[in-house]
Amino acid sequence: MNYGAIAWALAPEAILALTALAVLGMDAALARRWSVPVRWRAAVAAGVAGCLGALVWMAAADPPGRLAGGMLVLDDASRFVCQALAVLTMASLVLSIETALTEHIGEYVALMLLATVGLMLMAGAENMVLVYASLELASLSLYALAAFQRESRHGLEAALKYFLLGGMSSAFLLYGMSALYGLSGEVELSRMAPKLARLGMDPLLIVALASVVVGLGFKVAVVPFHLWAPDVYQAAPLPTAALVASGSKMASFYLLIRFMLEGFPELAGRADWRGWEGGWMPLLGMAAALSIGLGNLVALVQSSVRRLLAYSAIAHAGYALLGVMAGNAEGTAAVVYYLSTYALAVIGAFGVAGIVERNSGGDRLENFAGLWQRSPLLAACLFVFILSLAGLPPLAGFVGKFAVFAAAAGAGGGGLGLIWLIAWALGMSAVSLYYYLQVLKQAYVREAEAGRGSSAAWRVLPATRVVLLGLAVAVVLLGCFPGGVLSWLRAALGS
Amino acid sequence: MITAHHYLAVAAMLFGIGLAGALTRRNSILVLMSIELMLNAANLNLVAFGRQAGWEQGSQAALWVMCAIAIAAAESGVGLALILAIYRHRRSAHLDESPPLKG
Repeated sequence: MNYGAIAWALAPEAILALTALAVLGMDAALARRWSVPVRWRAAVAAGVAGCLGALVWMAAADPPGRLAGGMLVLDDASRFVCQALAVLTMASLVLSIETALTEHIGEYVALMLLATVGLMLMAGAENMVLVYASLELASLSLYALAAFQRESRHGLEAALKYFLLGGMSSAFLLYGMSALYGLSGEVELSRMAPKLARLGMDPLLIVALASVVVGLGFKVAVVPFHLWAPDVYQAAPLPTAALVASGSKMASFYLLIRFMLEGFPELAGRADWRGWEGGWMPLLGMAAALSIGLGNLVALVQSSVRRLLAYSAIAHAGYALLGVMAGNAEGTAAVVYYLSTYALAVIGAFGVAGIVERNSGGDRLENFAGLWQRSPLLAACLFVFILSLAGLPPLAGFVGKFAVFAAAAGAGGGGLGLIWLIAWALGMSAVSLYYYLQVLKQAYVREAEAGRGSSAAWRVLPATRVVLLGLAVAVVLLGCFPGGVLSWLRAALGS
Repeated sequence: MITAHHYLAVAAMLFGIGLAGALTRRNSILVLMSIELMLNAANLNLVAFGRQAGWEQGSQAALWVMCAIAIAAAESGVGLALILAIYRHRRSAHLDESPPLKG
């Protein structure tokens, strides 16, 4: 084994980890001398510089491929996920200057970076020991990040709920993986697959499969494992919620795809209409149908925008599961594209919600009233993000959803296949328009209430403006010119 | 003669006890302990399988268990810190004394 090659290949993760330590040290050294706003800017600038460094490295160096006997697989596709994760972390970091939620700035930024390291390793891990370690690195950092506002009792309770349910889910995952190891004698997913295929439907294998689906289902927040999501999205500090909604969801989905397609390709089963066969497809099919239904219907009655975004996120996880169920490279490419566009839009929506929350004291729908008069730029960005989440053309959300549904429809292999699930998803997408347009109606049609400083424009930091504008432009561009990225992803995953 | 199946049965029982405790207990510290039981059930599985596979093959499992124990320790550290922070607010570690967060 060549340790030099491993160190070289993991340089982006190492850059982020070293930046985290540097930020901790810098903030501790400067805490007495600088004021809190200056420290926020300095720490975030250092964190963003680290992310940029990792991005540049990943763009410049060729992806190293399989490493350490297949422990890590850093191919083009997982590098794409890692780059997207670095971008998402940068955006969340910049949003945290605006919220200025704590005085423990060094710790906050360092934990954000460490969570990103964990998520990036999750995207490349192929060995179950590394899968578990990287997943826990990301999760433990996120639990702590969710609890950063120690004066907010609601936030702490959401963090405790997140921690207890997340801890249970990782116990399920570890139990499932231990059974997989016992059945196959291998810890690497790709080597495990042929040995598991020979076993057929062993009872222990069924237990293992179900445990792994439960464990990963918690992380991607699909019904019935979604209970933590609304509370964390609503009550956790805003940048944490943005990272949980975007980066954590993306990396967990990529891990789920790898587990299902590389670990159990022979155990897929079928989830066709009247053609069910045992395997992971029916499990995911049920979870997808329930998530799409429950997420969209419960979002209709929410009055808090962050909670609304949480239920819409549950529905989006359901849509993304359709692409996983396609079970081929096209479906995987569609899911990765869909989740990256979703993540950009959701971080943007959280950013706008954060500014509204800081200026008007809440994130209820009424607080968005008259946003158009207060800040045309914010309102325009919100317009783009919300319509992309709703999946209207020509925005990126539409292309992503279309690619996912097309992949699921094409994978049926004769007969009706997954058409029933696609029809259900399309119907529910129409329902979802109602609550998305509710938010826009408040922002554009309603007048600002007199009591809340009606005509006064809201102050928005220039850095936040740049990030929100950049995210909106990216969403529009990815929607208008999707071909390049999508076909590149298909080629990267097909090889 | 004790075979791998005996270990697996004990591990499955431990996992079940842990899951039942995690779902029914109202005290957050007891829930945390139940989660640790579930993790240890998985560790016991791994040790049993590693022993069955022999020294050469089973060393992977031994390493994995070491990692898992270290991670579980970190996890309970984070968990106890969280419980302590909430205790400062409401002087109790019970999960249902405050109006619960809406599902």
